[in-house]
Amino acid sequence: MQKIQNDKIKESVYIETLDNGMKIIIIPKPNTNKKYIIWGTKFGSIDNHFIEPKTGKEIKVPDGVAHYLEHKMFEQENGVDSLYKLMSLGLDANAYTTNDHTAYLFGGTNNFYEGLDELMDYVQHPYFTDQNVEKERGIIGQEIGRYDDEPAWKLYINLMDCLYKNNPVKLDIAGTVESISHITKEVLYDCYNTFYHPSNMTMCISGNFEPEKIVEEVKKRLLPKEKMGEIKRIYPEKELTINKKFKEQNMEVNIPLFMIGYRDVLDNENNVMKQIAIEIILNSLIGKSSKLYQNLYNEGLLMGPLDFYDEFADEYSHVVIGGQSENPEKINEEIVNVLKTEKVSKEDFERNKKALYGEYVSEYDDVETIGRMFLQDSMRGINSLEFVDAFSKITLDYVNKIQKELFKEEMSALSIIRKEK
Amino acid sequence: MQITKLQSNKFKTNLSALFITVPLSKENCTKNALLTSVLRRGTNNLKTQEDIAKRLEELYGAGFNCGVDKLGNYHVLKFYLETLENTYTLNNENLLQEGVNLLLDIVFNPLVENGAFSKTYVDQEKLNLQKVIESRKDNKAIYARERCLENMFADESYSIYKYGRVEDLASINETNLYEYYKNLLKNCKIDLYITGNNIDNVKVPEISSKVIPQIPNVHLAPSEPNVVNEIQDVTQGKLIIGLDVDDKNKAAVSMYNTILGGGANSKLFQNVREKASLAYSAGSSYIRRKNVILIQTGIEIENYNKAVKIIEEQLQDMKNGKISDDEFNAAKQLIVSSIELIEESKEDMITFYFDQNLFEENLSVTEYKEMIKKVTKDDVIKVAQKVKEDTIYFLTKGAE
Repeated sequence: MQKIQNDKIKESVYIETLDNGMKIIIIPKPNTNKKYIIWGTKFGSIDNHFIEPKTGKEIKVPDGVAHYLEHKMFEQENGVDSLYKLMSLGLDANAYTTNDHTAYLFGGTNNFYEGLDELMDYVQHPYFTDQNVEKERGIIGQEIGRYDDEPAWKLYINLMDCLYKNNPVKLDIAGTVESISHITKEVLYDCYNTFYHPSNMTMCISGNFEPEKIVEEVKKRLLPKEKMGEIKRIYPEKELTINKKFKEQNMEVNIPLFMIGYRDVLDNENNVMKQIAIEIILNSLIGKSSKLYQNLYNEGLLMGPLDFYDEFADEYSHVVIGGQSENPEKINEEIVNVLKTEKVSKEDFERNKKALYGEYVSEYDDVETIGRMFLQDSMRGINSLEFVDAFSKITLDYVNKIQKELFKEEMSALSIIRKEK
Repeated sequence: MQITKLQSNKFKTNLSALFITVPLSKENCTKNALLTSVLRRGTNNLKTQEDIAKRLEELYGAGFNCGVDKLGNYHVLKFYLETLENTYTLNNENLLQEGVNLLLDIVFNPLVENGAFSKTYVDQEKLNLQKVIESRKDNKAIYARERCLENMFADESYSIYKYGRVEDLASINETNLYEYYKNLLKNCKIDLYITGNNIDNVKVPEISSKVIPQIPNVHLAPSEPNVVNEIQDVTQGKLIIGLDVDDKNKAAVSMYNTILGGGANSKLFQNVREKASLAYSAGSSYIRRKNVILIQTGIEIENYNKAVKIIEEQLQDMKNGKISDDEFNAAKQLIVSSIELIEESKEDMITFYFDQNLFEENLSVTEYKEMIKKVTKDDVIKVAQKVKEDTIYFLTKGAE
């Protein structure tokens, strides 16, 4: 087992890769009573086309299948609903699907090992029948309906439609009512057998644990599985330009919502350092303490700070900046201009570096945040602790370089939701 | 000012919270909401929000937050500041003390010009608050919940939106708001909570605070439930049913609520979602200080009657004592676990102890847990028999 210790933030992380390829990451927190576990597979809504390693068969699946599969995992052959069972143990259990991964999790103060029994049992025992797959269609249909009424979600999906032409990141994670009508138990089993192999999965555990002991407990509960070759995922060809500059949709919102996006042309550069650089740039030039924000606020064009973050995986990478304003076009113009023409000052760089460092250390406040962070980073090939060291290495020159490469006007797009005029 | 220190070594940060509490009134609600927004704009030391933002960044990205909330029949102005624990700073800085100083500076030392608040700030925040109030419809689920409560408490101050009313704004200016603020500080309850590790040595000046009276709930359930339909451009209908519950034995009401709609094993989730596939979300929540349970679910418009029928069957089942041991035990386990989690979160600890203090129950987390553990099935059935449907609210779309 590998141990990585960080004296600055006084945390240690233990990483074990089992013979079957599964990775276990343990972040001990001796003073807390809450325990948290999250088990993820690298299978998300973008993985809709792949070659099955065992048979070599090329498979295309309907949109929304990863999410549908997540819903169906809880149903067991003996009629037990695992979500029900975990909650009866007093554990807060859940699951979620993103663009690039699916995760099953629970947290709580008591009954951890009973919960572990249940979690590892249901994730390793799919039980799909024509009837139970059919039953779920109505529930997921309502879930999709709920998103259809959510302006913030539409805003985001429309922005993805601007930034990408064919990339599946632009699809609704849950699919559409039409696409899920094609999901059958056979489709679900094909996906399960491919993506739920231990070699495609990572488990993160945080709480008051002895690393060796908890690894043994997990191993005891793992079913033997044959080794599997690499999953070949088929994605559309990488795109070098954006799809379109602008998309607007009418929905009943009082103040228009906007989201500005920048497509990043992918490379395998140091993602950790780059992520920090992006945050420093955005905090300095358009964040709460920036001149731009003060001006827009004083003019009444913004009512609160802009919300910004970057998202990246092997197949996509972009930065989004969102907010609400009566004049989104003007905000867009000003932001694009500032990011193109202004530079991060030495003073802003130092101050925001310190602020980000503090925010990063704060992530270690809670076992749930820790577990999620390590899983999400791990799905992108990053060990979360790398961030701490990157803070001491990052330079202003590097930040300037990233700003020039990333924030290009021709790679930006604008999505707006406003009510009908 | 009452200062409560909640020591804990579970965290890497310290959270400080300052609460200003006054009786909820339609008359002052808008002023309270506006006041919090004006206070965070600038102090006599840090004159602009840009200065405050920079200061927070210098304090290792300290997080500042403020807002207003309705808590029972009170209106609470809340100010939070979270700082990194001193141990993790690069040069051994005293972030906790600096953070508390900043919090007090924002609340008690606002920027004053010619004996009034800054006119610019007040004017800007009036416009912003107006937009906030007008944007309320944007979040359908929250909107529907609040509208149901407003209908239930139509003739009480509780029916007011926590951010107040647009029509009050015109008469508020920098001078009368400042006068209101000075008066408020003389007549409100002020509490400061500090949580985290190494908090003994924080210095806080003396600030006077008033004892405010307990305000009893006076609401009476109608003889027949009120049915309210509101029309908006939605594809999914939001059904909210407000129940009036007993004022006594809150622990048993808590159990009742959890069995009914507290999680995946609740009657609502199992019957509305799992068996009938009518909804993605179906559950209930207990507004303890108003003796109300709200049932909420999002459904296809045409399934309204079906959903109401299934929900009412669950209420009837509970009245008839149809509660399995599994349901009962699962609910108890769920509540006990959630109580045990209170001390795993700084914010939850503060919220719990402040609530206990404000409503003069003064229970510890452990005592509260013991009360839940003692609840029997008979207690829950007794509670169920007194439950009354008060309001059936449906946010729906108009005729096509």
